[in-house]
Amino acid sequence: MSDTSARRSGDGVRLALINNRLESVARKMANTLLRTGRSGVLNIARDFSCCIVTRDNRLLATAESLPIHVLSGPDLMAASVSQFHKTIRRGDAFLHNSPYHGCSHPADHTILVPVIDDNGVHRFTVLAKAHQADCGNSQPTTYMGNAVDVYNEGALIFPAVQVQRDYENIDDVIRMCQMRIRVPEQWWGDYLAMIGAARIGERELLALGEEIGWETLHAHEEDFFDYTEQRMIAAIRKLTPGTGSHESRHDHFPGTPAEGILIRADVSVDTEAAMIDIDLRDNPDCMPCGLNLSEACARTAAMVGLFNSIDHGVPKNAGAFRRLRIHLRENCIVGIPKHPTSCSVATTNLADRVANCVQAAFAGMADGQGLAESGAIIPPAAGVISGQLRDGSRFVNQVFLGLSGGPGAPGTDAWQTLCHVGNAGLCFQDSIELDELRQPIHIHTRRFLPDTEGAGRNNGSSSILVEFGPVGCDIDIGYVSDGTDNAPKGVRGGLEGAPAQQLRVTRNGAVEKLPGCAQVRILEGERVRSFSCGGGGYGPPTERDPVVVARDVREGWVSAGRALALYGVVASEAGVLDAAATEALRGGRA
Amino acid sequence: MRFAVDTGGTFTDLLVEDAAGALQMFKAPTTPSDPIKGVTDALRVAADSMGRTLENLLAEGETFIYGTTHAINAIITGNTARTAFLTTEGHPDVLVLREGGRAEPFNYTVPFPEPYVPRSLTWEIPGRLRPDGSEMAPFDDAACRRAIAALKARDVKAVAVCLLWSIVNPAHELRVAEWLEADLPGVPYTLSHQLNPTLREYRRASSTCIDASLKPMMAAYMAGLTERLRSNGFAGRVLVVTSQGGVMDGADVARAPIHLINSGPSMAPVSGRHFSILDEGNSTAVVADTGGTTYDVSLVRRGRIPWTRETWIGQPFRGHMTGFPSVDVRSIGAGGGSIAWLDDGGMLHVGPKSAGAMPGPVCYGQGGTKPTVTDASLVLGYIDPDFFLGGTMKLDALAAEAAIAREVAGPLGLTVDEAASAMIAIATENMVQAILDITVNQGIDPREAVLVGGGGAAGLNSVLIGRRLESPRLLIPEVGAALSAAGALMSDLMAQFHATLFTRSSGFDYARVNAVLDALEQQARAFIDGPGAGSREQTVTFWAEARYPEQVWELEVRLPTPRLNGPEDVAALVEAFHRTHEDVFAIRDSASAVEIVGWSVSVACRIRGEVGGTLTTTAASGAGEGARMAYFPGHGRVPTVVRRFEAIEVGEKIAGPAIIESSFTTVVVNPGAVAERRPSGSLSVDPGRGGTA
Repeated sequence: MSDTSARRSGDGVRLALINNRLESVARKMANTLLRTGRSGVLNIARDFSCCIVTRDNRLLATAESLPIHVLSGPDLMAASVSQFHKTIRRGDAFLHNSPYHGCSHPADHTILVPVIDDNGVHRFTVLAKAHQADCGNSQPTTYMGNAVDVYNEGALIFPAVQVQRDYENIDDVIRMCQMRIRVPEQWWGDYLAMIGAARIGERELLALGEEIGWETLHAHEEDFFDYTEQRMIAAIRKLTPGTGSHESRHDHFPGTPAEGILIRADVSVDTEAAMIDIDLRDNPDCMPCGLNLSEACARTAAMVGLFNSIDHGVPKNAGAFRRLRIHLRENCIVGIPKHPTSCSVATTNLADRVANCVQAAFAGMADGQGLAESGAIIPPAAGVISGQLRDGSRFVNQVFLGLSGGPGAPGTDAWQTLCHVGNAGLCFQDSIELDELRQPIHIHTRRFLPDTEGAGRNNGSSSILVEFGPVGCDIDIGYVSDGTDNAPKGVRGGLEGAPAQQLRVTRNGAVEKLPGCAQVRILEGERVRSFSCGGGGYGPPTERDPVVVARDVREGWVSAGRALALYGVVASEAGVLDAAATEALRGGRA
Repeated sequence: MRFAVDTGGTFTDLLVEDAAGALQMFKAPTTPSDPIKGVTDALRVAADSMGRTLENLLAEGETFIYGTTHAINAIITGNTARTAFLTTEGHPDVLVLREGGRAEPFNYTVPFPEPYVPRSLTWEIPGRLRPDGSEMAPFDDAACRRAIAALKARDVKAVAVCLLWSIVNPAHELRVAEWLEADLPGVPYTLSHQLNPTLREYRRASSTCIDASLKPMMAAYMAGLTERLRSNGFAGRVLVVTSQGGVMDGADVARAPIHLINSGPSMAPVSGRHFSILDEGNSTAVVADTGGTTYDVSLVRRGRIPWTRETWIGQPFRGHMTGFPSVDVRSIGAGGGSIAWLDDGGMLHVGPKSAGAMPGPVCYGQGGTKPTVTDASLVLGYIDPDFFLGGTMKLDALAAEAAIAREVAGPLGLTVDEAASAMIAIATENMVQAILDITVNQGIDPREAVLVGGGGAAGLNSVLIGRRLESPRLLIPEVGAALSAAGALMSDLMAQFHATLFTRSSGFDYARVNAVLDALEQQARAFIDGPGAGSREQTVTFWAEARYPEQVWELEVRLPTPRLNGPEDVAALVEAFHRTHEDVFAIRDSASAVEIVGWSVSVACRIRGEVGGTLTTTAASGAGEGARMAYFPGHGRVPTVVRRFEAIEVGEKIAGPAIIESSFTTVVVNPGAVAERRPSGSLSVDPGRGGTA
């Protein structure tokens, strides 16, 4: 590789201009999908992504999307389209959700449209992927943690199945979906939105190729990958060289050992060669549950932990990936699953544990880099709610009432509403009024709880309590709440964040524990109390700025007692700092 | 005689309209510490140039229309009143959680934003309503009074009240108001159901808190402005520009100051619409206002200016969403002051960092060292160093050239001209992206829209922007440098009233919907008889906020009939919704039912005569016409005609390369573009083909 000054003159200008155009196409696709999608998971959780891959299946440009969706997967899915369809024509579209062929998990329906020029030459592939409210599972949830295999899971699997020809739907496929997906109008609305987004991407790329020439565009791809590689090299050389490891345990769920699942990542940074290795092979085999990662999610989760730990300005594309080796193993629970292993929950629980291992390993290698562990999900307050109204009509939808989970970072406190590391906070949090209008539920309480932060020099998120229950009917809630037994860990002396917790309040006021992974029926008059995981702290809490700790006390995040005990800060209940007493206390401890 | 003033960050613009409708434009520096001084200074400049005294000029005024950034500046600089937030028990973190969302998913260096009102000034009030307005838990008077006593002890200067479902049943909020009147007399407060009766508690709470926090200051400010005008002899009506693209009486806006958040930028599309229709006969326009640090884009779709509730103060997800209806204006950090820089992969970026007014571009000679778009324009020969802002400021071209050579041209292996030209190209692309983002969200095809350029720096690259967008026409109005003030002169007295009532097209609730519309119409009539008394013309329009079932964002649809009296009327409304949805999102689900969550009425009262919008020619100062060398990509340095804006005859065609200058702006006509003057005085440019980079 050459250094910057030796690049062809003017490259920096053309690169910026064409890249801007390509990103604009992806953004236009994403805007269309966001604004036209029907289901809450799509337009509230922003659980979708749009991107462009090259004709040889390398990730080129993405719209800002939730990280777990897009880094790896589009490349694998585009490759499977070429593998299964020898002739591809303009007007074709393919439906893909097979975790055995590159998709993240079966709930993530993906539309792939090949961009074919006027001479019939395949130039790019555009993808629009969106998490569906339902995907035909045997239970009304898209996160079926207790599925022993794909048959038990029950999702309809589409391995790059053609769904449009000559811009017209292939109705056979549509009918299959309508017969097996709950609330089919909602799926249909999201399908139209995805097709609309992909077709807009196709139209825009055809216009761009026409305007500046296909060969110029393809030349740009290589230049842009080279440029990104340079950025990646520079970013890696800012890291501390060496190796690091981190272990993180997922709670026990049905189909897993009693002690849960211990996940580990081994990271090595070679600043000389500017290469990073992430090894996930030293992990258990696949298990008879829905937690197994797809290959797309295993790769992507490792990349999420990595990109969270380096200069965030490095573009995320195949050029950056050249400096990255991710080592996976077949039939590994965080590797490459074999059919019929279930990957129902592949985008969240173990994927989050992998990303957390990677970013915490970076933190362990040097102060000032990496992140603490972020909080696990999915608690009942973000579960899939279903049931039947008095008038006989059925409903199913995921709610997003309260997730926190942000990790303490080297330079700042957590982003409180991170949701989980794979979503990175893009998720919207539901309006109480909108949810009470849309679903037969009442939300009694939603608040952050004091003394639940992951204490550190920089704090992890606090925990949110959501107390809610059905109105006028019973409801079923499907959820897969990791982090009840294994709270998010701090790094570099930072403390754990609060664990998750889920409770049922019965009609007579008794409080009972609910399991971490379940499909529970909540009767009218009962309530659920859902506590989100906090996030781990970064650095020792005794190094936290006393002025900031006093503010935490004043603003009700931390009690005066906890400020004293964990932070070594003397402050009144009203949050007035006693600087002298604090200095004396901290000095004495040191 | 009417006056319109727009107070910007750097300059205060004044337009004076005489009885015959002719306009004169003046500018004076803004005094940030005393914005009213900038107003009187601009008026004094006008009086001087007309050879009159200030008192003599003002005595003739019938209307004074004021656009101001004072409210939004107070929020950005943290100078609003200490405000308490009263919320429903169990839900104290409405302002902390907002609606979630985050930008830049891999960026863990940005702290979580502070709530608009801190948690320590938030009190929970017992009492809970259901979505149908029925009471689930009763209001607790004693607890409410305890909260008021506690906030009194905290020296609170304003109170915001937002309780769940107050939009369906306001009883609990009204009860809080009774106790505030009794126990905290004289402290201003805002009730959410009165200010902004819209679904979604964060948006309502946010607008309520912002409004309350502005009340003490804006009441004093409006009183001060009126007093200063009165003491200088003005006896007419003082109106203020609102975020909704209309005007309100100064006293009324002091009682609901949230209307001022986008006061100013909201007016650009009003004048953009006027000139687009008048000069080009096209009622769809993209209106771009270029300042020193920000580039504001707004739209006109078939004569209507789109609104949004998702207006952010500060960056999306990092600032505060107002939740209050406003003209949809998208702002990015791009302008004459935007700085060019290279990243560690060697890619050129321009902005969002700006050199601002201080130190400003390198060529200002005030200590700036980073090359800016203005520096590039100077190096390329687009700006005359001796005639900047009518010759009031001399520019240092050599310093600009040296900075571009050092920071951009050298590292990229380009000539200084190529580098400067590349800087313009990147800045152009950033602006194009801002336009594409807002047009795709509002479903407008820029290829069918007139591009209207406003602001002093608009002319530098608008031809290039027009080419990229394939705009049929670029229009630079003669008053373009004061587009907002010009809009203020054209605007109507406006008000909007909302109500929440949920219904579906299948199982439509005729009786309750019509009762809601009756009540809204009464409010509109009261406005016409009140502030609108004596207006020349009144328009009342009804709207529905509708969506397909399960969608979470609503679209505003104009009601085809003022009441819904049968299935045909509902069918017409449903069809109007399908059409709007297809317009904006390119998708239509004809088989689907439609849900309506809110209803509103907008009322506009015309208070002006026909607007001419033509500037009376001011004496050209300094530079005359001629030619100079300017650089254009693909052409190199070529002799370029320089013309005075006001000296061009109507219908005369000027082919690029050419530069058209006035005391307020410079318009670059690139090779391949052709400009001509319209009877209104506007410069209308066919952007032509040619390169964009």
